[in-house]
Amino acid sequence: MFNKILIANRGEIAVRIIRACKELGATTVAVYSDADRSSLHVTLADEAYHIGGSAPAESYLVIDKIIEVANKSGAQAIHPGFGFLSENEEFAQRCEKEGIVFIGPSAEAIRLMGDKITARKIAQDIKVPLVPGSDGAVTDVEASVIASKIGYPVMIKASAGGGGKGMRLVRDKEEFESSLRMARSEARSSFGDDSVFVERFVEQPRHVEIQILADSHGNTLHLFERECSIQRRHQKVVEEAPSSAISAKTRKKMGEVAVKIAKAVNYSGAGTVEFIMDQNENFFFLEMNTRVQVEHPVTEMISSIDIVKWMVRIAAGEKLPFKQKDIEMQGWALECRVYAEDPETNFMPSPGLLKYVKAPSGPGIRDDSSIYSGCEITSFYDPMLSKLVVWAENREAAIDKMASALREYIVLGVKTNIGFLIRLMDSEEFRQGKIDTGFIERHPELLTPGTVDLEPALIAAALAVDDLDQTEDSSKQDQSNWKLLGRKAALSGGSLI
Amino acid sequence: MTYTFKIKDKVYKIDIEKEKDQTVIQIDEKDIPVEFHKIDDHMYSIILEGKSITIGVLRNGKKLQIFMDGNLFEIEAISERDQRKSPQTLSGVQEIKSPMPSRVVKILKEVGDEVLVDEGVIVVEAMKMESELKSPIEGKVTDLLVNEGDAVEAGTSLLIVSSE
Repeated sequence: MFNKILIANRGEIAVRIIRACKELGATTVAVYSDADRSSLHVTLADEAYHIGGSAPAESYLVIDKIIEVANKSGAQAIHPGFGFLSENEEFAQRCEKEGIVFIGPSAEAIRLMGDKITARKIAQDIKVPLVPGSDGAVTDVEASVIASKIGYPVMIKASAGGGGKGMRLVRDKEEFESSLRMARSEARSSFGDDSVFVERFVEQPRHVEIQILADSHGNTLHLFERECSIQRRHQKVVEEAPSSAISAKTRKKMGEVAVKIAKAVNYSGAGTVEFIMDQNENFFFLEMNTRVQVEHPVTEMISSIDIVKWMVRIAAGEKLPFKQKDIEMQGWALECRVYAEDPETNFMPSPGLLKYVKAPSGPGIRDDSSIYSGCEITSFYDPMLSKLVVWAENREAAIDKMASALREYIVLGVKTNIGFLIRLMDSEEFRQGKIDTGFIERHPELLTPGTVDLEPALIAAALAVDDLDQTEDSSKQDQSNWKLLGRKAALSGGSLI
Repeated sequence: MTYTFKIKDKVYKIDIEKEKDQTVIQIDEKDIPVEFHKIDDHMYSIILEGKSITIGVLRNGKKLQIFMDGNLFEIEAISERDQRKSPQTLSGVQEIKSPMPSRVVKILKEVGDEVLVDEGVIVVEAMKMESELKSPIEGKVTDLLVNEGDAVEAGTSLLIVSSE
């Protein structure tokens, strides 16, 4: 096992990894940008090093700076988390060169799966089902011909894409040209590469993925599926395990296919093979994510396997002590991503100071977050505040638990999607499991509070204003020099409103 | 005390009557006894006809944000007391804040300058409209926190006037 591990990330995932490393007995090293000096990952870690400006390109994405901290601190391994450098082949290579263990798969596996076209070819070679489409990047003319051949609707996707960027759904031939142009320009500005491919759009698709765990001794297993069909702007919002839409037979088949893909690239560590599934349980390979996934907790809850700890142990050379047949799933887990965003204005991010935070608790409730009262959500990073995860004996009970836990969650100071998530949990269609990736778009009524009894809010407002006025009056009467001094000091810093 | 609130252009009037231990709210000509307790900064517990409600309240000037059951409501408050308040009664240290996201056009008073009540101290511009911000008290400018040309957010302190 490693004595010291550097966590090259921030936010809740850095916190999650730091905790796992500490439990494994390793000293933890955090890195932080200007904006993150008071972030939870910095205060939780045993050591912390400043690595530059708030913009990711000046800190969390700078390979040299992170390697420098690893060398200076004597860290033997680096856990990249997700996002930032987690799927960066060059970073993995660099770690190898410096004699630092990259906690993840080989640079080669990252490269093969990182490029969607290469990944598709690999899948094709081992007879993994694929959505009909172009074999690789296409010219404008080819794209249009292929689109007509496979039939509309089609999806245009950036070769280097991810997170929904550079992706366009085209329903008929007339829209194709302009959509292609937009997809290319988005791909160019997001990834510096405007190559795109075209594939058939599966109607009412469900997003189902398989969690892989593989050691470097040839053991590759899967930890069942997660369903992540509830998405906004092609990004996941609610995830669950297992999926309510797949039979035991399909689960087994999908698991075997995922293991086959992982083996094809000599995968080691934790990874996720994503599939798109139609309403008849036909599934097609989408891509493989070669890192820990945001939604890994739901799998941990149903399998009782700590994925992050196993990533570390596998990187240290340990062998998986269990076989596929030993892994059982139990109960149902749900995850809601709590975002600082406004569902009423197309989920626009809402950065700001969190004046008050109180997370729910109780049996079967897990809150993976890095927020606290007084912390600031800046516009430099993803506006995810927390991943609220629940476990219960079945789906219905899990939804009930989630709905109740969300009602307990208090976040003051920014707009959040908590109200939206509550309405989603309460919606009949969601409860019946009638979900697909178009669910949110189909249910705009969930975006606004609807008819809410405003009386309590108005009464609270009146009482609070009354209370605040009185407090302010009394503080004015006995304004001490200390208070004045503190106020002046705060103001000269210019950061207080 | 009567409080008037505006939510999305709808106006509501709420009356608070306090008698010894009892607080009674009048809303829509209905009397509702209420028990009210501050549980933390910004957090209040209300017991309303036996119903227990936890509510978060953030105040920024006349704007109130109310957090209830996962939803955030923006409420505008106009209290009688606010209207009655005369600037002469204020003293101490006053921050002159930008009322909206704007640009500082002209600084009228420098540090050390004497100012009178209602005397203009700084001019800001937002959406092509200039507005002169006035000092609510008589005193001296002790701090100047911005430069001409600066873009500022709503609520940013621009200048400090002290009566001491």
